[in-house]
Amino acid sequence: MTNKTLIMPAAGVEEELMPVRGRVVKSKWTRDLLTFLMVVGPGLIVMVADNDAGAVSTYSQAGAQYGTHLLWIVLLLLPVCYFIQEMVVRLGIATGKGHAAMIYQRFGKWWGLFSLVDLQLVNFLTLVTEFAAINLALSKMGVDPRYGVPLAAAALILLVLTGSYRRWERIVVFLCLLDFAWFWIAFRLGPPLGQIVKHAVLPSKPAGGITPDLMFLVIAIVGTTIAPWQLFFQQSCIADKRLRFADLKWARLDTFLGACVTVTAAVCMMIAGAASQAHGFRFTDPAQMAADIGTFAGPVMRNLILLLMINAAVLGTTAISLSSAWAYGEVRGWPHSLQLPWREARGFYSLYLICVAAAAGIVLIPRAPLQLIILGVQVLAGVILPSAIIFLQLLLNDKELLGEHANKPWNNWVNWTIIIVLFILSLILAAQVTAPNLFPSAVGGPTT
Amino acid sequence: MGTIATLIDLETRMETRKDHFVVVHPLDDVPETKVDTEALGPMPMTRTVRFSLMSLRAYLILMVLLVVYHVVMLAR
Repeated sequence: MTNKTLIMPAAGVEEELMPVRGRVVKSKWTRDLLTFLMVVGPGLIVMVADNDAGAVSTYSQAGAQYGTHLLWIVLLLLPVCYFIQEMVVRLGIATGKGHAAMIYQRFGKWWGLFSLVDLQLVNFLTLVTEFAAINLALSKMGVDPRYGVPLAAAALILLVLTGSYRRWERIVVFLCLLDFAWFWIAFRLGPPLGQIVKHAVLPSKPAGGITPDLMFLVIAIVGTTIAPWQLFFQQSCIADKRLRFADLKWARLDTFLGACVTVTAAVCMMIAGAASQAHGFRFTDPAQMAADIGTFAGPVMRNLILLLMINAAVLGTTAISLSSAWAYGEVRGWPHSLQLPWREARGFYSLYLICVAAAAGIVLIPRAPLQLIILGVQVLAGVILPSAIIFLQLLLNDKELLGEHANKPWNNWVNWTIIIVLFILSLILAAQVTAPNLFPSAVGGPTT
Repeated sequence: MGTIATLIDLETRMETRKDHFVVVHPLDDVPETKVDTEALGPMPMTRTVRFSLMSLRAYLILMVLLVVYHVVMLAR
């Protein structure tokens, strides 16, 4: 394989030469592999970042309370994740613009503003939960959060200020790959493989039957696996990376592999939770779970789980903050690209900076109502998600906009089914949290 | 403006030599022509779709207010 700068004439301007830097390879197989490696990123990042601090909490709680019985639900969500994000891929590649810009342009300013406000609100509250998790994990590791949390916030800000999309993407993909450590944890702690396969493939009723608590956890698992910010993030990321029509199949593969990694990591988190349950520990939060696991699996395991919890929060924070900054930049018409230096995209970077700094600051306030914020995130995300997907569905049926890339009838059947199920679940979740007396034995459950 | 078509054209020419392929990173490539979304304007909607969206708007406002009220009550 050789590096080569090719000079080729721009179409329609015969005299002008447009330099394009490319790589010359000798086999089709190498060409495909290299093209995939160049395209991979947005799909993997959006999926792995979705396993954020709240997700670690939800999945490990599911394992700690119900063992491996709920594995099948997570596996069932794999195609759901993929179908929804695949639509975003098509929309991003066809328009070269972000999701917020599309809603603004095709549905008008009112809807654009409404979606933007909803997104910013839920995103900011979610960011607070990410920093709360960093705070918790650092405390368990013996690091003073008063220093650790600002340091994490500073690192997250520096991460995007390099003026290079590629640099940001490489660092974040590396962080995503660290998630593979969950596989080792599951391997070390896991129950027999036969039990995992059985509960992953065959739906089974946990001991105690179907209770409101179980329903709450199932809804939380769905809510944490599919989140509104993902739609905005991946489309803006694709637009920023300037993916081309020819990249569509590789972008789909990127998204599919991302979905597989995130779902498998979620399964591993459940297995870790199940291991703590098997040793008689009661789940309170994932940091405590790590400490409990450390008592029988050693301090290395304990610290590894805590570090992965911080990594999950860091990934969630950068992706969620960027989805906010991209969306706002698109709507306001500001320059909004990670390729731009600070001086050329001040508004875009400032918003990212404000989101990260404010969320980190709130967590450090003594006696801040973090539990209320977590509760608010759960319900708001659940309420907003189905409507966000409805906009996506309408945009994907817009033949003027997408032409041959518009949804096929089978896409619509699948997507409307997903939307209806999500609507029902979001209504149950909202009712369960806002009016807990409707469900007598329901308790405050996991984070979304 | 140069597009990916230019590249493909070059790639095709090289493919005819059977021994070379060119791979270009999206950020190094000449920007591709996309749909002009601003020229399209707002999406034409049937009365049913418009009504459904209005209902969705009302549902969202109601639910957000309900959540805010509940959280404020819990905070007091």
